[in-house]
This record gives sequence, structure tokens and C-alpha cells, in this order.
Amino acid sequence: MSGEEKRLTMIDLARVSKTFPPDVHALADVSLRIRRGEMIFLTGQSGAGKTTLLRMLCGIDRPDKGYIEIAGSDLSRISDNELQKLRRRIGVAYQDFKLLPDKTVAQNIAYSMEVSYRSRQFIISRTKQLLTELGLMDKLDALAGKLSRGEQQRVSIARAVANEPELILADEPTGNLDAETAGLVMQLFRRCNEEGVTLLIATHDQAIYDYPGSKIVRIENGRLAIQKPPVIAKQGEGRA
Amino acid sequence: MNFLVAVFSQTWRSLVKSWRSQVLSLVTITLSILIFTFFYLVYNNALQFGNRLDNDLRLIVYLDEEPDQTLQQEYRHKIEKFDKVERIEFVSKLEAYDRFKGQLDDSQDVLKDIPKDFLPSSIEIYPRRSLESLSKIKEFSAYLENLPGVLKVQYGREWVERFNSFIQLLQVVVFLSGGLLIMTTTFMIGHSIRLTVFSRKNELELLRLVGASNSYIRVPFFLEGALLGLLGSAAGMAALYILFRWIRAAFAETAAQGMFSFSFFDTPTAAMIIVLSVLLCAGGSFVSIRKILSV
Ligand SMILES: Nc1ncnc2c1ncn2[C@@H]1O[C@H](COP(=O)(O)OP(=O)(O)OP(=O)(O)O)[C@@H](O)[C@H]1O
Ligand SMILES: [Mg+2]
Repeated sequence: MSGEEKRLTMIDLARVSKTFPPDVHALADVSLRIRRGEMIFLTGQSGAGKTTLLRMLCGIDRPDKGYIEIAGSDLSRISDNELQKLRRRIGVAYQDFKLLPDKTVAQNIAYSMEVSYRSRQFIISRTKQLLTELGLMDKLDALAGKLSRGEQQRVSIARAVANEPELILADEPTGNLDAETAGLVMQLFRRCNEEGVTLLIATHDQAIYDYPGSKIVRIENGRLAIQKPPVIAKQGEGRA
Repeated sequence: MNFLVAVFSQTWRSLVKSWRSQVLSLVTITLSILIFTFFYLVYNNALQFGNRLDNDLRLIVYLDEEPDQTLQQEYRHKIEKFDKVERIEFVSKLEAYDRFKGQLDDSQDVLKDIPKDFLPSSIEIYPRRSLESLSKIKEFSAYLENLPGVLKVQYGREWVERFNSFIQLLQVVVFLSGGLLIMTTTFMIGHSIRLTVFSRKNELELLRLVGASNSYIRVPFFLEGALLGLLGSAAGMAALYILFRWIRAAFAETAAQGMFSFSFFDTPTAAMIIVLSVLLCAGGSFVSIRKILSV
């Protein structure tokens, strides 16, 4: 791929496979390229491999085979320090939230900004802004463990967005939300996208991606199935 | 700037969460410091005790002939070849006679018929008042005895030997308590870090996920270790000082007779002990973090 194209690429996957013992092919030969500034929906049945893919994109798991490049960094060759640096530029909303139950909502959100040495004022104002947008301002000082599932989900989304990342990976971000609250989340995501942030949203909530012009990647049994529009993904192409 | 704020607030949070489990470590470190500094203080004072023995510690080398200037230079040279000394004095036959006469006071007339050069001339050597020199006195005397023209070497042999073995015993004790200090301190630091890591396990995992750098995660542990070292050694020193005051008060009478004097560490030594403890604890925590967290 040319230098120009490399600069424009946020996520580049080439023939990525991941097998779990004994014999679960969570991902098989997945090749995918996502440009900067895109908002892509990753769909597929439960167990299709969406979470597995996202976990590999943020360096929690490593692929058995294949090549992953995020913002120009080859994840298989990146040093530990560089991986941590890269993670500060990626916001992840995990399917299982990964909140600390004995910390307050504000503290939970602050973590993603503190590790980038953001100032106190920035952390406070950003936290309040996001909680207002997500309709959670009254829970600022509540313990995360005491919140409802849907509230916890929004806190984890706020934490993912808070540090103004270049890339947001959201795993089932509306899974526990009613349509109206899901709308708030999507509004936030769309605004981020307008500011130039790349988003990859794993979901089976058809309501959030079923609109004209949405870009969808579907995986079935660990394989890339359909893409809409098809140009954004490339199947079977080796490493450039 | 923001790095420091972040790291200090991290450390503070961790301390608030786990100070209870740190108390035991702190007490252990304090006790180890107290034991070590106590023996070290006794050792230090024993040395000073040795320093006061000026005259007892001189070596007297009796010569068969009165040395002239060149011979004196030669002796000086040969003596200093063995070890640096504090002072060398040549005592001629006449000076020896005068001293002797002075000591006799009233009964000086016994010397009437005796020639003034009946006492041999001698060299008085005052060794340096360091342990190293004092422990070599025996060899020194043997060396001097073999120099040409030497009749006999005299020194407080029994006393020096007893003093040396006492000092050696103290050295062993100081050494052992120092080793004990290092072992207990690093063990307790490792133990308390293990507890902290355990109590903050989920938080540390989250920190990795949101991209905390290794130093962001490690430095608070490091500071915690250093703080334990600082508090532990300061408390240990304070306890030692109280003990010291008590001992001095209890032996005040003996001290008044000039038989015995006991002094505390000077400020540089005390500061050095505290600094070394801080370094020891910080180093111990550094090693433990690498082992336990492997980040
Ligand atoms: N750590 C693991 N050990 C063993 N098997 C695993 C592991 N993680 C995932 N799998 C398996 O890999 C497959 C893909 O899982 P994954 O979590 O990626 O699915 P998903 O698309 O996220 O599903 P859902 O929509 O339910 O979240 C599943 O069959 C799952 O059982
Ligand atoms: Mg999943």
C-alpha cells in the first residue's frame, strides 16, 4: 500500500486467524481495512467472533496467524511501551464494561484521562459534559457497582470517549439500553465521528445501523461475510 | 508537572486503600533499623573508647644505640613503610633519664651513682586510631622487632588483644544485624507490595487497558516503598535516641568519672542511615514490582 494510503488507514487486518482450544475457530482468515474517519458497524450472530476481533485490535489478545496494524503500528512488533501509548489513543467500551465497582462514576471515567496526564480541570469538565450528554449527570458520585446495567454501560462508553481518542472500539454499546437512551449514545458517537474519530461498533442491534449510507461489516462463524458498501473491506488479499 | 500530580495522587489513593496492611511492614522495618543502629552505635562508641587510650596504645621500641639524624630518618621511613602512623617520637638516653628522674620525685638520690645513659634510647610510635591500624598492632610489633638495632618492642599487649577481639565480635554483630535488616526489609517490602497489588488487582488491570505507562504503574509502588523506608528509619532512629538518652541517664555517674562516655550519631551519620534505608526500601520495592507485576 502506498504511503498516502497507509497514512489514511486506521485499521489494517490481513488474514487474521484465531483459534481457541479445543477447536473453536473464533476468527478465520479475516482481512479488513478501515480508513481514518469512518464509522463501521461490525455485525454478526452471537459467537461470530466480534468481541474476539475487537480484543485483538486493542492488543489484549494476539492472533495465531495474520497481521494487524493500527494507526501505522504493527501490533506484533510493537514494544510494550508503544502498545500502552497506542492504547491511550484508543477508547474501548467493553462488552463486560470493566468498571471498578467500588469507585464512583467520576473516578471510573477519570482513569482513561489520568493515564494521559490530563489536567484536573479537563478531567472534571469532560466528565460532566459526557455524563450530561448520556443522561447520567445525577450519578456523578454514585458507586459504579450500584448502578443498573444500562447505567454501567453508559459509564463505560463515557470512559471510552473521554480521552478524545482517535479510534473508538465499542462492543455492543446499546445492548442494555432502551431505544431512547441508545439514541443518546449514537448521537455521541456520531458527533465524535464528525470530529474525525474512527469508530468500530460491534452490535446486533439492527435499530442503530439500519439507516441509509451506514457501513456494515458482517462476520459469520469467524469469517467475513458481507460488507456494505463492499469497497471498505478486502477479502483474501495478502499483506501489502 | 501533570505526571507528578498523577503519580502522587495515585500513590495517595493506594496508601489510603492499603495503609492498614502497611502498618506491620512499618513496625518490622522500624524494629530492624533499631536493632541495627543500636549495634552500630555501640560499635561506633567502642571505637571512640579506643581513641581515648592514647598512651596505652603507643608502641615503645627500645634501641641498642642512640640513633643519629640519618638513622632516625631511616627508622621513620621503615616504620611508615608498614603503616601510616599518627606520630613518631625519638627519646634519647638523656631524655629517658630525665623522665625517669621526674617520676621518682622524692627518692631521686638513688640515681646519684648511676651514669646518665643507663637507660636505652627508644622510639615511641603512636599508631593511627583506626580499627584497621589497631587490628594490625601485633604484626606491627613483630615487624618492628625485626628492624636492625631494635632490642625490644613494648605495648599493652593483653589490652590490645582483648580490645581487638571485642571489636571483632562487635563487627560480626553489626554485620549480622545489617544483613538481618536488609533481609527483613526487602521481605516486608515485597510482602506489602504483594498485598497492595492483590487489593488493587482489578484497578491495575484496568490501568493497563486504558494505556497507563509502566512508570505510571510502577512509580507509586516505588514511592510507597521509599516512604516506608523513610518512616521506618526515622521511627527507628527516634526509638534509638530515646534508648540512648535512657542509657546515658542510667550511667550518668560512671560517665562523670570519665570512665565511660557514650555519644549519639552525628547528624551526617544519622542522615546517611536514613538515606540508605530509603534507598534500600525503594530498591526492594523496585525489584518486587518487577517480579510481581512483570510490567
Ligand atoms: N477465551 C476463550 N476461550 C475459548 N473460547 C473462546 C474464548 N473467547 C471466545 N471464545 C469463543 O470464540 C467464539 C467467538 O466469541 P466472541 O466473544 O468473539 O463472539 P461475539 O461475536 O462477540 O458474540 P456476542 O455477540 O455474543 O458477544 C465463541 O464461540 C466463543 O465461545
Ligand atoms: Mg461479544
